[in-house]
Amino acid sequence: MRLTTKFTLWYFGIMLVVLLIGGAIVYYEIQWKISRVEVARHERLNDIIAQQIRDGGDYSGHPTRRRATITRIPADSVPRGISSYYTRGVEWNPEFQGREYRLVVTSFYTIGDVHYRVSTYSFIPSFYQLLPGVLDSFKWILLLLLVLVVISGGLISKYILAPFKRTLRVIQSFELKQKDGIRLPGTSTSEFRELNEFLLKMTDKVREDYRSLKEFTENASHELQTPTAIIRGKLDLLMESDIRDEQAVLIAEMQNALERLSRIHSSLTLLTKLENQEYAAEEPVNFSRLVREGLASFHELMQMKVLRLVAEIEDKIYIPLHASLADLLLTNLVSNAIRHNEGAGIIFVRLRREGLVIANTGREPQVPTEELFERFKKGNPGSDSIGIGLAIVRQICDMSYFDIIYEYRQGFHILGISFLPRQAASKLLQNLSVPLQKIRQEPE
Amino acid sequence: MKVLIIEDNQELARNIRDFLGREGYICASCETLEEAKEKLSLFKYDCILLDIGLPDGNGIGLLNLIRTEHKDSNVLIISAKNALDDKIIGLEKGADDYITKPFHLAELHARIRAVYRRKNLGGASIVEFNEISLNTDMFEARINGTLLDMTPKEFDLLLYFLVNKNRVLSRQAIAAHLWGDYTDNLANFDFVYQHVKNLRRKISSAGGMDYISTVYGLGYKFNSHKQE
Repeated sequence: MRLTTKFTLWYFGIMLVVLLIGGAIVYYEIQWKISRVEVARHERLNDIIAQQIRDGGDYSGHPTRRRATITRIPADSVPRGISSYYTRGVEWNPEFQGREYRLVVTSFYTIGDVHYRVSTYSFIPSFYQLLPGVLDSFKWILLLLLVLVVISGGLISKYILAPFKRTLRVIQSFELKQKDGIRLPGTSTSEFRELNEFLLKMTDKVREDYRSLKEFTENASHELQTPTAIIRGKLDLLMESDIRDEQAVLIAEMQNALERLSRIHSSLTLLTKLENQEYAAEEPVNFSRLVREGLASFHELMQMKVLRLVAEIEDKIYIPLHASLADLLLTNLVSNAIRHNEGAGIIFVRLRREGLVIANTGREPQVPTEELFERFKKGNPGSDSIGIGLAIVRQICDMSYFDIIYEYRQGFHILGISFLPRQAASKLLQNLSVPLQKIRQEPE
Repeated sequence: MKVLIIEDNQELARNIRDFLGREGYICASCETLEEAKEKLSLFKYDCILLDIGLPDGNGIGLLNLIRTEHKDSNVLIISAKNALDDKIIGLEKGADDYITKPFHLAELHARIRAVYRRKNLGGASIVEFNEISLNTDMFEARINGTLLDMTPKEFDLLLYFLVNKNRVLSRQAIAAHLWGDYTDNLANFDFVYQHVKNLRRKISSAGGMDYISTVYGLGYKFNSHKQE
């Protein structure tokens, strides 16, 4: 939920509570005020009646007497200390045919020697008659407030949260590899200032850590290469000395291990370099030509394994990729297609403007195909490969924003790379529906 | 051929010296830029092997000096950093080739020969041994003048053998030579075996002597002393 929405909801809740309490207060206040006014009016009316008694004369039928009761009372029933009091209660109002508050004001007068008790009454609106009016007005107030809160909430949060949003944008575009620190906009909000300071410190630290880690990796790789080169050289020299057969086998095993070491090493170094974006595309590379050349250079290997190549390569397809990387990508893909193929298998290559599809026959992989993009994952644990080729392929695709997919169906390993931005590779495979069965049956 | 090895690691320099020494090359080595400058001011070399990361500076800087004062020397850069930048800069500044550690000594030798052929022998890039004759420009191999029908890889392999005559070439070295580094062990030994087998068959059937022999456990050897 958005911050603004949250704030608005909270404010609305608080307003509701305040208005309910306020409504009750207002209601009682009105009720109380009406009573007060009414009491004051009746006291005046009682005074007028008393004056009329004082003046003498017949006032019966006078408007003042309509709701008045005048009683002579003995002196001892005159209350001390008060000249008047009032009572209130719900009663039937015959005039309006409804139950209303009946307010009775009773005053005491002494005119001459006679004590009089004068009571007048009137009906005032009851709780139930006032309530709808109060509620109604509060409903409108609530509505008005709500509209104002929603509108102002949007506008104010836009203004207040602007620095926060700018910070977010900066952070989103932050990359470990960037050379300069991030630049955050100034703000007068202390919380945001704190956040910015923290982010600044954090990103600087992260960049620093990353840089030293990278430096370490580079140094390590650099420093490891020399001893490896020495060992390899010594073995080369040792091979030529006078050695027995069993020593030869030992040397060969060492050579093998060393070869593996050096391959893993150079592949990992390469991956690191790719991650560091060290190979930016300078200009689009003619991929059609590269694919043709790549396939040609593997021609002999395919022949050796008796593989049939079905290639459909469109002309003049340029993709934004460093030429060496394009080459590397192809080499890895094609060599995979050859290596994991069985005798008399098929390799299918289709290059279109939208992307590249390479399919090859081969045994079913023993792990989910997606996992084969991970480093040191092998479809067939028994194979000699170090399992890093596809990791390199994916890294190259990732840095070029190409989507890549690996599927296994109908006995074919299918790899699709989509060159178009925002087009998923799975879509590509649908669009370039590979006629697997047809390829299989096609005579040579 | 006179070779100057500019390499700060003594062991590696000794490997190279030993290997090239057996080929009859006269090798000198030095470990720092300063020493290298001194040596270069005194002597002429046919080939200079230049390590980029030297204790007193980047070897690339030396390229300018070499290019102005030793125009005829071939320069081969040896680097531990397999960085593309180094490679491009190195080649732009006038290096003739580039090899990354860890390399096979036979590979280094092949590169030295290749550079030497390109620069010093003019257009006639012919490598000959007895009845075998390779034209490295045309990628043509002849046995007693008859053209062999060879694939590019087989040609490459035969050239590699001829350059490294009487050397044991491990299958790894051959694989690395033919397919490069990054192919994740694609260049497995079956392919090497197949290539060597095909090559031997083609040479024999063209009437050439079968100079190439298997070295138990290790690889192959082009035996120049082989008699019928």
